Amino acid sequence: MSLFIIMLKEIVDNLRDRQTVFYALLFGPVLLPLLLGGSLVASFKQLSIDFDQVTTLSVANTDKAPTLIEFLYSNNIDVIDAPANIQSSVRNGETLVVLEITEDFGQALRDGAPAPLTLHVNNADKDSVKAARRVNTILNVYEQTLSNLRLQHRGIDPSVFDSLNVVENDVSSEGANGQLLASILPFLFIMSMVMGGFYLAIDTTAGERERQSLEPLLSLPLSRTMVVMGKYAATVCFVLLSSLLTALSIYTLFKFFPVELMGGQVRFDGATVTHAFLLVSPLIPFISALLISVSAVTRSTKEAQTYLGLLMVIPMAPFFLLQFLNIRSTLVSMPLPMLSQYQLLESAVLGDSIPTLHIILSVVGTLGATAILLWLAARLYQREKLLD
Amino acid sequence: MIVAEELYKSFKRVGASRRKPAHEQRIVAVNSVSFKADDGCITGLLGPNGAGKSTTLRMLATLVKPETGTASIDGYDVSKHVLQVRQHLGFMPHNAGIYPRLTARENIQYYARLCGLNRKDSLQRSGELIEQLTMTKFADRRANGFSQGQKTKVALARALVHRPQTIMLDEPTNGLDVMATRGLRDIIRQLAADGHCILFSSHIMQEVAALCDHIAIISDGIVAIEGSLNEILGRTGQTDLEDAFVSATQALSKGDDE
Ligand SMILES: Nc1ncnc2c1ncn2[C@@H]1O[C@H](COP(=O)(O)OP(=O)(O)OP(=O)(O)O)[C@@H](O)[C@H]1O
Ligand SMILES: [Mg+2]
Repeated sequence: MSLFIIMLKEIVDNLRDRQTVFYALLFGPVLLPLLLGGSLVASFKQLSIDFDQVTTLSVANTDKAPTLIEFLYSNNIDVIDAPANIQSSVRNGETLVVLEITEDFGQALRDGAPAPLTLHVNNADKDSVKAARRVNTILNVYEQTLSNLRLQHRGIDPSVFDSLNVVENDVSSEGANGQLLASILPFLFIMSMVMGGFYLAIDTTAGERERQSLEPLLSLPLSRTMVVMGKYAATVCFVLLSSLLTALSIYTLFKFFPVELMGGQVRFDGATVTHAFLLVSPLIPFISALLISVSAVTRSTKEAQTYLGLLMVIPMAPFFLLQFLNIRSTLVSMPLPMLSQYQLLESAVLGDSIPTLHIILSVVGTLGATAILLWLAARLYQREKLLD
Repeated sequence: MIVAEELYKSFKRVGASRRKPAHEQRIVAVNSVSFKADDGCITGLLGPNGAGKSTTLRMLATLVKPETGTASIDGYDVSKHVLQVRQHLGFMPHNAGIYPRLTARENIQYYARLCGLNRKDSLQRSGELIEQLTMTKFADRRANGFSQGQKTKVALARALVHRPQTIMLDEPTNGLDVMATRGLRDIIRQLAADGHCILFSSHIMQEVAALCDHIAIISDGIVAIEGSLNEILGRTGQTDLEDAFVSATQALSKGDDE
């Protein structure tokens, strides 16, 4: 009962604090997904080329290579005349790229010699590079066609020259883009959980010590364990609320996400987000316990912010670890809180199947760690030093 | 009723070198404190800064455990019957420690609920205390920005919320102006007249002399002398409390030297 009263008071008290509310309900759940998701969408848009989309290309000396122009046209490229000063135009960004057909292009082709082409590109400009990539890809196909024609003309089977035939077979359910996106999801969830409970945990423990309101509170007829658990329960409520809002905003955000850009089956429908939320939900009690027990050691809000600030590295660690080391899900990594949720969520978003044993291990490991942290927090509250 | 016998408490000296002998690594906050505070009486714990007043009160309030010695509140041992002691005790620490984002009324209600009153009773009880301590004007304002006197009143109301028999106040008149001090004294007198046991600590002689029926003078963690004002003056052969205080503490340090 007193646990419930303390919880309620801390929630009401902290809802009146602008900072806590901002970080718990706005920063983690709304701003962070928007920031990360938004920049992700932008970068995908920049990298990916849509070959079906019609675009224009400036070409100098169009009359020297009519077949090439026709080939470009059949590949959704409308040719326009190049500007007078090619170099400066590309450098200034007025034209993205210019394909210059040299005077002797036709002659070289007829002689069976390498036919010279110049592609003017500005490597400092991403859009120019992207446009050049598209042109290059199409030119490669054209070159292949020409070579094959030349060889057949001389009675040679073109496949003789293909000594290797490398077929890239991507065995993951999704490409690299999907991978990145999949690892951003647990990152968003964990960050919003931490941000959601951060200020409330500090305010109710270190803040209470700093305001010197702990001494009269502890002289009331209730056990200290009850006091910690009440504060813990309030933190859990905030973390839960924050992560629910995050789930909602991720769902809303990715509704507008151009899924085709990522090359296929990564899905962010209601079912996937719900599944992800359930997988990550054991972290709600865990992160709350972590926040409470760390800030129970500290004397002032400032000290607590320093410690917890360092602690913020923890939710980011698996993100970078998994990005660069590509640790696979194993029975060993599953009981580890945070790491296991990262891996499970990645699999969930990519549509890979998850063994039930992995889920059980992840839940048990995380809840076990929670119990230890809570025991520690209760112990910390028994110390006499608490009142110093 | 409060009975304290030979209370002793020391703290670890922060930053003490480990090579020093054990007794130099600790600060003795309370050395030997024995006194009695009766129901219906105002008892003053008088002593200079650092004498060990707050530490004594904290031991009585079950916030820290005495290393040796015993104490009881209304017959309950402070080391053994912690919850009963807390139920019988209203403690107002040195600092008001009220919640700035809650109103005065909410501050009081919170403590009422924690002491086991249901919602209706806690509303009624806090309303009562707000009347009794004349807090009506600021009762529904958030405590952020309260004056020292207003804070003290809220803290006092919180300490009284569960109708404790014994009430302990640690330097309650700190930072209060003349009128507020008088108001507080009247409240304390009324509580004693209602049969409560009141213990309050102070380093101000005049205040203790004016208010207390019973005085315990504490210095360097030791209660030097205990009794009514007249008893203390008689035993030390002085005419005012200040001189009595000096002579009692001097007698104490002489006793140490021998
Ligand atoms: N938690 C603690 N750790 C270390 N030393 C302490 C602690 N609490 C009190 N002391 C020391 O014990 C002694 C008595 O302190 P206490 O606060 O009881 O004095 P006081 O009589 O209340 O003084 P004041 O009138 O200044 O409030 C002081 O020397 C103080 O430094
Ligand atoms: Mg003191």
